[in-house]
Amino acid sequence: MIVPLTAYLVVGAILFAIAVYTVVAQRSAVMVLMGIELLLNAVGLNIVAFWRFVRPDDYSAQIFTIFIITIGAVEMAIGLGIMMMIYRQRRTVQVDKFTELRG
Amino acid sequence: MSVAGIVEIIAFASSAFIAVAGALGMATTMSMFRSAIFLMASFMGVAGLFILLSADLLGLLQILMYIGGMLVMALFMVLFMPDPGGAMMAAMPEMMTPIGRFFSLGLLPENSHAAAAEMSGAHAEHDTHADHGGGHGTHARHQDAEHQRGRERKEGDDAHGGGDHHAHGAQGGSHGMGHMDMSDMSMVTPVRAWAAWLAVATGCVIVGLLVLRPSWPVSSALPDPRSADQVGSLLMDKYMVGFEAAGFLILIGIVGAVLAAHSGQHPDHRDREARVAVNAPPPPIEADFLEPLSQPLRDDDKCSPAPDGGHANHHAGGEGPT
Repeated sequence: MIVPLTAYLVVGAILFAIAVYTVVAQRSAVMVLMGIELLLNAVGLNIVAFWRFVRPDDYSAQIFTIFIITIGAVEMAIGLGIMMMIYRQRRTVQVDKFTELRG
Repeated sequence: MSVAGIVEIIAFASSAFIAVAGALGMATTMSMFRSAIFLMASFMGVAGLFILLSADLLGLLQILMYIGGMLVMALFMVLFMPDPGGAMMAAMPEMMTPIGRFFSLGLLPENSHAAAAEMSGAHAEHDTHADHGGGHGTHARHQDAEHQRGRERKEGDDAHGGGDHHAHGAQGGSHGMGHMDMSDMSMVTPVRAWAAWLAVATGCVIVGLLVLRPSWPVSSALPDPRSADQVGSLLMDKYMVGFEAAGFLILIGIVGAVLAAHSGQHPDHRDREARVAVNAPPPPIEADFLEPLSQPLRDDDKCSPAPDGGHANHHAGGEGPT
């Protein structure tokens, strides 16, 4: 392995930072969901990198990543279902239009 | 340095570049559709990194799950959005950041009458479905995009819950009523600058901590080249409860998504009322200059309440008692 562990972790950190920007700055709920997917992806990349370099004989890390992917899929499906419901009632899914709960 | 090492470095560099550039494009481009495609590229890059880390199963799963499944859902939702192609924002590149301008290159701006007419036509189709008579939708075909924006703005105000203008006024400085039309079309919130600085700070802190940290206890052991076998047996042995729980979670998720997206479960927006299929005779058509039918076209016309329903009455009224 020529490429060190830190390189993978740096890539994961950059992806994480970009995803944080997306989640905070985008107005559309679809884009926020895409940012969350990217967050999960960055975390998965970190886990797999640590598995490969630190504990390559223990495959629990891959199982964990599979669970992350599963949870991401379920979250995407439910999020899109909620978004369709909201769109039907409000004609918009822009997240800063929903301010009813603001005190 | 061996050939394998050079190949590995090249593979890592290209995969990491695809992943990071795709994520950056996803975050900054003004077209939502293009942003979904950029996200797909980013997932591809991460899948390449997985394979490079000798986690082949995860790389394949990544492509199958994210690109095959979720991104199709995301594209489906993107097509629901107003202005999915970013045509409105492409007309005003001075509102984009430089990097957003780079990733939005080639977007067709909405400056020609053709684009405006097309968009207005698309909205008028909505109106045609929304109107009860169907005849009122034609006038919407002639309204220009400016009027359309005004209507969207009005609907946005309606979304605040019955003219709750107080909450609207408190929505932050650059979001007031004055230049509402400018900020309302963009894909980003008014806190974009803060978010950008937050992201840069997050990235710098994490990368700095990673670089400054003393080296990790790296093991020199090689993973099993058939790691998928190991993962499968572990999934069926040690993590069986978690595996079953994940399956159950997917089941609940599917049912919940179907229930949430199910129409008729919740009261619809009033504009959408007429678009839901209802079991009622359609309203009679006024003055279509066609000679009336002597027989109903289909057999299921008999199912409607025959002589006093509006539809049947209309057809029978022109012909008289036959």
